[in-house]
Amino acid sequence: MDRRLNSVPTVNFAPARTGRFLRRLLMGWVLACGPFTLAAQELIVNEAAPQQSMSRNEARLCFTMRLPTWENRIPVKVFVLPDDHPVHRQFTKSILGLFPYQLRQVWDRQIFSGTGQAPITVATEQEMIERVATTPGGIGYVGSGANHPQVRVLEVR
Amino acid sequence: MHRLLVAFFLMLGGFDAWAEDSFWDGLQVHGFASQAVIKTSDNRFFGDSPDTSFAFTEIGINASLPVSPQILLAGQLLSRRAGDLYDGAPALDYGLADLTFASSVEQRWGVRLGRIKNPLGLYNETRDVPFTHPGIFLPQVVYFDKIRNQLLSTDGLMLYGEWRGDQGAISFTAGGGQSVVDENAKWTYLPLSYRFEGEFKQKDPAALFSLWYATPNERFKFGLSGMALELQLHPGPGSPLNAGTVELFYGIASLQYNAEDWTLSAEYVYEPIEWRNILFPYTKATVESYYLQGTYRLRPELEALLRYEAYANPDDRDGTKTSAITGGLIPPFNTFSKIWTTGLRWDINQQWMMRAEYQRHHGTFILSARENPDFSELQEDWNLFAIQAAFRF
Repeated sequence: MDRRLNSVPTVNFAPARTGRFLRRLLMGWVLACGPFTLAAQELIVNEAAPQQSMSRNEARLCFTMRLPTWENRIPVKVFVLPDDHPVHRQFTKSILGLFPYQLRQVWDRQIFSGTGQAPITVATEQEMIERVATTPGGIGYVGSGANHPQVRVLEVR
Repeated sequence: MHRLLVAFFLMLGGFDAWAEDSFWDGLQVHGFASQAVIKTSDNRFFGDSPDTSFAFTEIGINASLPVSPQILLAGQLLSRRAGDLYDGAPALDYGLADLTFASSVEQRWGVRLGRIKNPLGLYNETRDVPFTHPGIFLPQVVYFDKIRNQLLSTDGLMLYGEWRGDQGAISFTAGGGQSVVDENAKWTYLPLSYRFEGEFKQKDPAALFSLWYATPNERFKFGLSGMALELQLHPGPGSPLNAGTVELFYGIASLQYNAEDWTLSAEYVYEPIEWRNILFPYTKATVESYYLQGTYRLRPELEALLRYEAYANPDDRDGTKTSAITGGLIPPFNTFSKIWTTGLRWDINQQWMMRAEYQRHHGTFILSARENPDFSELQEDWNLFAIQAAFRF
């Protein structure tokens, strides 16, 4: 959705003393490949979750804390990264189709009126994978490559 | 036997682990605190603002516990100091049990029991939480702080439902109960005789409803909500006042559009009021008010605000009739308020927020007689400047 956000991080790979030529080569590579090496966000669930895929509306309901249980009655446990985390911002926009500030507003209204709860915030993607893996009913997201036997990547339709 | 004992203790251990994992695991505790500094050119607003007021402090702490996926218990304590209107004594802001009868991807419905924040307009439910609304002060012509408790919360029950489809979601609440009215009602509905002893109390259970539509991505939201309420004055000993009533309906239409960098909000209030057997300049009035508000996110952590709000009595727009009826005691400009607001919000991090705000006022309707008992000292055109620091967890 927003390509500017996705094409930047590769610059960090440049070692401090890389020669100008190498740096140019790298920049050229970034410019050439950047838009195509999108770090696709992945919605992940604990292996106990019943479904193999999920509609966008359903994903929105999960992350706005409006779906209390899965079809098999296991409570939905939502994990998120901090509001200003790049993966959170990208996931919210491109997978959920919401703006991060909208999610924050929904959560705050629920927390401070007693009509719902907030998701559990984790600090890193690694922690996200571990928490989703060890929580039945757990749902979260990563930038890419959630490689854990207890975690499944769900396709969002 | 030995084995049985071992099994028993293992089971106990297992139960403990279950209790920790499943029962208290879902407990969430959140809170906030804010402090504002207010300076006005004239007229008192939230304390001695002409001399700079520090008397606007809000502290809240809440806890919520899902007893099961279908039952959520939640409560919040709130201490709010707001000039002469509120002294900061802690009170139960809400305390409720939320029971979900049915929930699926397509729908959800249930009931809330206890003290429930009234779901009126875009902001009433979280009106005292600085992070949840633009501006240090809510639009005063719609969310009157001078009589805040009239709309604040209800001790009763509220049914709720939501239907979701590809075209969006429709949600409603309907319920009623005892409205949590306080002394500020007397200062608003009896501005000429507030000195006499007596108390406003709710006569019959208040009725509330709300109906909302939102597109699936919540870019666009539209809502209608309202509350019907009848207050009765209980005159104190020796008071010359009658046990009269004030009957009112507060109806509000709300619109919001959310774009990536900006949000537009507008709300319109229609409020017919009827005074019976009570000393007031008139016996019937329909008040109308509205605001238009735009926020623009310069950066994710920096938000600018521009708002215009207006309130008037359609039968007496310039206030001259009211003033004449009271023999000039109430100045004409006390019957309307037109306010321009501009402000800046800076979210330093997820916990801390700073705000600055400037308001240009024409008229004094939004002021409380409790803070400004001498009408002859009111100034028609005045300015307000405020800053606020807020913390949350």
